[in-house]
Amino acid sequence: MAGAAIRTRELSKDYHVGFWRPRPYRALDRLSIEVAPGEVFGFLGPNGAGKTTTLKLLMQLVFPTSGDAEILGRPVGDVGVRRRIGYLPENPYFYDHLTAEELLDYYGRLFDMPSADRRTRVSATLDRVGIGAERRLALRKFSKGMLQRVGIAQALLNDPEVLFLDEPMSGLDPLGRRDVRALMLELRDQGRTIFFSSHILSDAEALCSQVAIVAKGRLAASGRLTELQEFAVQGWELVMSGVPAEALERVRGRARRVVTVAGGRYVIDLPPDGHPEDMLRELTSAGATLVSLTPVRETLEDVFVRRVAEMGEGARS
Amino acid sequence: MKAVRAVAAAVFLESVRDRVFYNLVLFAVLLIGASILIGQLTAGQDVKIIKDLGLAATSLFGLFIAIFVGINLVSKEVDRRSVYPLFAKPITRAQFILGKYAGLLLTLLANVVVMSVALYTVLFFLARGVPEGVQKAWDAPAMDPGLLVAIGMIYLELAVVTAVALFFSTYSSPMLSAVFTLGIYLVGQFNSDLKHFDTIVDSAPAIAIAKASYYLLPDFSRFDIKLQAVHGIHVSAGFIATTVGYAVAYIAALLFGAMVIFSRRDFK
Amino acid sequence: MTRGAAAAGAIVCLAVAVGLHVSQDWWPAPQIDDPGLLYVRSPAVATRAVLSYDAIAADTYWIRALQHFGSERLAPPEHVRNYSLLYPLLDLATTLDPYFSIAYRFGAIYLGEPYPGGPGRADLAIQLLKKGIAAQPDKWQYLQDLGFVYYWHLRDYKSAAASFQRASELPGAPTWLQPLAAVTLAEGGHRDASRTLWMQIAKSEEPWLRDAATLRLTQLDAMDIMDAWKQAKDQGYNPPIPNDPSGTPFVPDPATGGITVSPASKIYPLPGQMQPPS
Repeated sequence: MAGAAIRTRELSKDYHVGFWRPRPYRALDRLSIEVAPGEVFGFLGPNGAGKTTTLKLLMQLVFPTSGDAEILGRPVGDVGVRRRIGYLPENPYFYDHLTAEELLDYYGRLFDMPSADRRTRVSATLDRVGIGAERRLALRKFSKGMLQRVGIAQALLNDPEVLFLDEPMSGLDPLGRRDVRALMLELRDQGRTIFFSSHILSDAEALCSQVAIVAKGRLAASGRLTELQEFAVQGWELVMSGVPAEALERVRGRARRVVTVAGGRYVIDLPPDGHPEDMLRELTSAGATLVSLTPVRETLEDVFVRRVAEMGEGARS
Repeated sequence: MKAVRAVAAAVFLESVRDRVFYNLVLFAVLLIGASILIGQLTAGQDVKIIKDLGLAATSLFGLFIAIFVGINLVSKEVDRRSVYPLFAKPITRAQFILGKYAGLLLTLLANVVVMSVALYTVLFFLARGVPEGVQKAWDAPAMDPGLLVAIGMIYLELAVVTAVALFFSTYSSPMLSAVFTLGIYLVGQFNSDLKHFDTIVDSAPAIAIAKASYYLLPDFSRFDIKLQAVHGIHVSAGFIATTVGYAVAYIAALLFGAMVIFSRRDFK
Repeated sequence: MTRGAAAAGAIVCLAVAVGLHVSQDWWPAPQIDDPGLLYVRSPAVATRAVLSYDAIAADTYWIRALQHFGSERLAPPEHVRNYSLLYPLLDLATTLDPYFSIAYRFGAIYLGEPYPGGPGRADLAIQLLKKGIAAQPDKWQYLQDLGFVYYWHLRDYKSAAASFQRASELPGAPTWLQPLAAVTLAEGGHRDASRTLWMQIAKSEEPWLRDAATLRLTQLDAMDIMDAWKQAKDQGYNPPIPNDPSGTPFVPDPATGGITVSPASKIYPLPGQMQPPS
């Protein structure tokens, strides 16, 4: 099926701020992006950049000031298309008095699922996101992490072709984040399209084929992650423990800095072309143990600020 | 329409879990307590007074539920943002409004039915042991089915109040909605006075406002046939039919209005 | 502060409050001697204030009317009776519920009742009944009660007969109203006519109407006994002073030279024996 899974054209949203003389505040300025089917698309930006506004426009929770958007070739707001999509809002809130099972059953009824089918799907989806016996507890008793899982479950309930996830990792502990990441890759492998927003770069790195970066309501950059200069690696941080003294002296020259941390650990700060794999091999064969190896980059915020300045923006009122 | 049913069922379930129906306990206590106590006080008017009390309490308790649940029907979901995952599903905003309305009507119906059963039960026990000659002289029998007509009109009144509350709930905070709904209910009770406002006050703008209110605001005094029911006075079928028609038309207008407002609302 | 200290504090303070409350028996607040407070006197205001709860509001005014009347009438003899709230309460009850027949009928019997049994205001009784007749023109009981008020309290036998006649023409009216009208016209004021009227009322379904009728019939019997005694005395016999039908002995009446009912008797006062304080 040709055609973009998601497309926006000059999509803009103004809010009116102030009571007596409302002034327009441009939360999103002429956003035009396209997401191909089967892609995992990262929609990145600092907080307040317009990511959630974009998602709300796509879900028609708010109405655009100008421009338009399409999902699966149909205009946003087409009720039939909603059978084929799933949406996870940021910090989802459901209904205190329902249990997780009852919530999904309610949503299942909205999809017109016959009751036996509904029961099976609800149970399977809850299993998939790792909610066990808690599914019979009232949602008011759920922790933030568990609510996030319920949110993912309700987005998956109807086996959607396109998934919209707003900060899917928020509220999850590292184990949870790993599970979600694995889930998203699994969904991608099944051929679904995933559009997710995040302010954490490493999430995007692990998952996305394409990204778009927004800042202050405008598109700052878009394309393949690896091709975006902004995210080029600027250095490596190699943390080793148990490094014999003479091995350390040998490699000191190739590092920009070496810091000794208590407990016999050393943080070795390498330049971008410092070949950390070689140094790692060298040190481990000398008897040291790897603690971690992390690329050093500009933060997303730094990139945005710089990009925005580059775009020649003055102060925005 | 399945979506409407699903939403309505959800509203009913929420009412149950929010313990709305505990008001029935209070109702039962009130009615039973009164029937035990009033014997000494009323010189043989027990049955009439229990009927009055039962009908008045059905109306009043129902009013509380219609207003206090009604004003939150939409605003609570919008404030708490549970509308976000909801409207990503195949349900239109209009279906949501209808479902919410139907759900609260269902809650009120259950409430009114239980109250009616309780009232008739108390009347049954009150009338037992009263000699038949005395019973014949009553304006209406103790277990008068005519009471059901009055109760039906009370339910209709509650349906209109619910529609008003829901209408405001689509765009106002609960506090404002409560004020507006209660205000319209009170003004609606004085509908006949509004018609003749020129006899009460001299100011022309006030009279104009009163006349406009008389025409446009719902006339709640029409639904009150409690006096007639208790005294066994016949109410014409024509009156009932036009009142039902009036209520249905008004409710439909309010629901359409709510749909219009809600369908273009931004959920910030 | 620990929880235990706070709990102890709560109990102590409550005890002090209760003690001060109970102590008002020793240092009482100054008493205001008023017949009772009626905040809303105007039926027009009341009808609007109670919204659609008029029937139940009418019931509460009815109960208050009973309480007011009963407590004044049954108070110890030293108490200065004041029935000033009876009419306003009944008026409110019947404005809120125009079909409240028992309120109209109660007013008919007792508003006209001379002091100290009632306020002695037959005019108010007639006013109330006319309101009832306007609300339900076909209710023969109201016209019968109107006739009763004219007959018994105002001794206007022509108006009484006219009311009984109109009553007899209404649907469902009992057959004895017609002859009652005739008797009233012919011999109004005669004891037999009155006895006929009261005997009919004694068959009423309302227990308090029956009680009022029994009392009146007993009084009429007493008056028969008084007349017979006076007649005997005038003829020269010296009859002993008998007991009245309720068991209390008669007392000499200096005004007529006969006997009359004692103030200690249950059937005191006879009609016409006492007037309300002005």
